Amino acid sequence: MIIAEQKPLDEIMGLLGSDERVLVVGCGTCVTVCFAGGAREAAIVAASVRMTSKLNSVPREVTDVTVQRQCEWEYLDEIKEQISDADIILSLGCGIGVQAIAERFPDKWVVPGLNTTFLGMPTEQGVWIERCAACGDCVLGITGGICPIARCSKSLLNGPCGGSEDGHCEINPDIDCAWQLIYDRLSRLGRLDALLELQPPKNWSTSRDGGPRKITRDDLRLAAEEE
Amino acid sequence: MEGDCHYLLGNINARRRVEFVRNLLLEIGLEASRVQMFNLSSAMGGQFAEYAAKLTEEIRQLGPNPLRKDPLYTTETSTGE
Ligand code: SF4
Ligand code: SF4
Repeated sequence: MIIAEQKPLDEIMGLLGSDERVLVVGCGTCVTVCFAGGAREAAIVAASVRMTSKLNSVPREVTDVTVQRQCEWEYLDEIKEQISDADIILSLGCGIGVQAIAERFPDKWVVPGLNTTFLGMPTEQGVWIERCAACGDCVLGITGGICPIARCSKSLLNGPCGGSEDGHCEINPDIDCAWQLIYDRLSRLGRLDALLELQPPKNWSTSRDGGPRKITRDDLRLAAEEE
Repeated sequence: MEGDCHYLLGNINARRRVEFVRNLLLEIGLEASRVQMFNLSSAMGGQFAEYAAKLTEEIRQLGPNPLRKDPLYTTETSTGE
């Protein structure tokens, strides 16, 4: 899932400026399950903004609403009246949600209440870890299901580097060396020979290096009227 | 007492959440000491009274919640003075 965390209230207040009618929009999908921008967080942020504004004598009217998914037009359309009544939208969706609002409501100013941080998962309650960097050409099939792109600090394809120490990464002992994890797993499964094969440089054009990415599925697209 | 809760580690979890609320109050611009947590067993009546008096005194020093415009909630009324 997409993992995000809330911006400090100070920064949010700065982004809101002097706009009076604020609509806080939560999202019911990824950011709900990582406790950053669901209905509960939207209500807390709305109350915090209300209280801070009152303490600083800033006239403010704050409401909150949470949609099932902020990154799909149909869910945004359900709140179009509330959006049109507001001077400013404080989105608690990930960066995609913020942009979806900006695109769907061209005349409305929208600001982010979250920092969208990574693609990952909870490893225990209250702890989330990055797992995938959406490189667009998955290599998990040769690394035993452990991602060297997202989990090795240097994104090495032929690791480990010389800094791997007792299973920890040299950039921070709190980080597991991904290549140690890969080695241990391949060893357990009797597939260490996979490491004998050198991986050629990765084609990064499927990643961010190729510019913004797009997937088109003709089998799913709806025919246009004139076709 | 801490870690010795009817709900096992429940009061340790509660303390973490109370800390979250205290930080939130600070961010908003209110005093964190308006919310405090004390660990007590049900057999510690004397201690309970002591903490209650201490907290009441601290809150009285801080004065009424500035967000509360309702005159019913001024210190005078709430302390019966
Ligand atoms: S190899 Fe690429 S697609 Fe696969 S998990 Fe790693 S970053 Fe994600
Ligand atoms: S120590 Fe391991 S995880 Fe860290 S950069 Fe080297 S190979 Fe990658």
